[in-house]
Amino acid sequence: MKLFWFETYKTFSRWRTYISFGFIALIVIMTEVVMKLSASEILFRMMKSFQKDFLIYGNVLNGWFITAFIMNSLHIHIPFFITLVAGDIVSSEATAGTVRLLLIRPPSRSKIITAKYLTTLFYTTGLVIFLALICIALGLLFFGGGDLIMNYQTKFRIVFIPEAEVPMRMLLAFTAAVWSMTVVASIAFLFSTLAENSIGPIIGTMAVVIVFLVLGNFPFDFFRMLSPYLFTTYMVFWQRFLDDPIPWQEIARSAMILGLHNIGLFSIAFIVFNRKDIKS
Amino acid sequence: MKKLLLFAGILFLLSTGWTPAQEDASRYLDPIEKKYSGLRDYTADVNVHFDIEALKAPDMQARLYYKAPDKMKVESKRIFFLPKEGGYFNPSLFKKKDFDMKVLERLIYDGKKAVRLKLTPMDADTYHKGYILTVDTDRNLIREIKISPSEGREVKATIEYGIFRNFELPTHINLELDMPSEEPSGMKEFTQFGQKTKKITGKVEITYSNYQVNVGLSDEIFKDTDPLKPK
Repeated sequence: MKLFWFETYKTFSRWRTYISFGFIALIVIMTEVVMKLSASEILFRMMKSFQKDFLIYGNVLNGWFITAFIMNSLHIHIPFFITLVAGDIVSSEATAGTVRLLLIRPPSRSKIITAKYLTTLFYTTGLVIFLALICIALGLLFFGGGDLIMNYQTKFRIVFIPEAEVPMRMLLAFTAAVWSMTVVASIAFLFSTLAENSIGPIIGTMAVVIVFLVLGNFPFDFFRMLSPYLFTTYMVFWQRFLDDPIPWQEIARSAMILGLHNIGLFSIAFIVFNRKDIKS
Repeated sequence: MKKLLLFAGILFLLSTGWTPAQEDASRYLDPIEKKYSGLRDYTADVNVHFDIEALKAPDMQARLYYKAPDKMKVESKRIFFLPKEGGYFNPSLFKKKDFDMKVLERLIYDGKKAVRLKLTPMDADTYHKGYILTVDTDRNLIREIKISPSEGREVKATIEYGIFRNFELPTHINLELDMPSEEPSGMKEFTQFGQKTKKITGKVEITYSNYQVNVGLSDEIFKDTDPLKPK
C-alpha cells in the first residue's frame, strides 16, 4: 500500500500527468460552447428521423444528452491520455536510469509492478471521473437538466430515459467506461514493461486501439466476423446502461471479457518485469 | 309492378351516371363544421402511450391548448412527443375550400350510419397526398382518419369522443403508424451492404382528459409555440 501511494505521488508530481486533465477540460468546454452555439443544427440532425412525424417539445439538448454525446468520443481521445501515463510508468525508470536503483531496494519486483499497475488504474479511474464531473457539471450549467434521449442511429431507434433515472444510469455508464479504459491502460502498461522508452508504448497502444476500432467498424462480413475477437468491440458497453431495457447479460459478458483482458495483460507484464535483466 | 319500379330505378341511375363519387361530399362535412362553429378554444390534459419499436419511451403527459381556427400549443415540463398527424383534434382541419372531396362508400361503422370520404388537397405542394375520412353521419363525427399513402407513409387514426360542455371532443385517439424514417447521415452509404431502410411502425394511444372548453384563451399563450426549441 505504501508503495502504491509512493508511485501515485511520483505520478501526480509530474506535470505531464496534468496535461490529460487540462486537455479533457479544454475539449469538454470547447464541445459544449460549440454545441450551445449550434444547438438548432444539432437538434435538427439528432431528431431528423422523427421530426417529420412528431412534434417534439421540451429540453432535448440538455446536460445529460451533452454528457452522453461527449462520452461517445471516449474511445478516441481518452485512450491517448491514458497512454501518456500508463505507457511511461515502467519504461520511464529505464529512461531515467533509476530501474536498477528501484529493483535493488527491499520491496520485491512483484510488489513494485503491482503498485505501478494499481497507480495506472488509479490514474485511469481519476481521468474518467474527471471527464464525468466536468461534462455533467458544465452540461447542466449550460444546458439545464431533463430527460435523456439516446438516438441509436445505427440501430435506428430512440430511447427515452426519464430524468429521475438518469443520474444512476450515468453512474453505471461511467463505471463501465472506467472498466473499458483499464484495458487500454493494461495494454500501455504491458508495452511500458517491454520497452525502454515512453514513446514506443504510447504509439504502440494507440496503434492497437485505432487499428482494432477501424477493423471492428468495417461494414464487411469478414470484419463483422472478426469483431467479437477485438476488445474494442466491448469497450462501448457503457452505452448499454443508457438503453431500454438494460441488457444485463450483454453487459456482464462484455465486462467479463474486458476483465480477462486485464488479467491476461497484467500477468504478462508481471512475468516480464520479474524476469527483466537489469545487469546488461 | 315492383320489378318494373326496380328496373326503372336502375335505368334512372344508369342514365344519370350516378356514382357515390359524384355525390357532393361536402354535405357530410358541412354539418361537422357547423357543429363545432361554437368551439372557440379548449385545453386538455394529454397522455401519450407509445408502442413503437423504434421509440422506447414511457407514457408522456402534457397540457394541450387549442384555439380556433389553427392555433395549438403544448405545455410540458418534460420531453413530449406528439404525432403530427392525427395527434390532436382540430375541427377546422378539413375545410371545403382546401380539398377536392369524393364519396368513396357508405357503410355501417360501430353500428352507426357512416360514409367514407376521400379528400385530396387543392394545393399540389401539400406534403400529404390526401386523407380518407370515415364520418359517422348520425352523430356528425369524424371517426377515422387515414392519411393516404405518400412517400410510403400510412397513418390511421381512430377517434372516440366524449361530451364536454355540449361539444363532442376526443377522449381517445388510437394511431397506427407505418412510416419510412429519414435516413440519418451516413446511413445511405451503408445500405449498399445490405441494410434496409427502416420504418417507424407501431401504435400510439393518446388519451385526452380534463377538458376546459371556451375559456377565452388569449393569443398571448400561443406566441411561443415552437417545438424543439433549444434552451
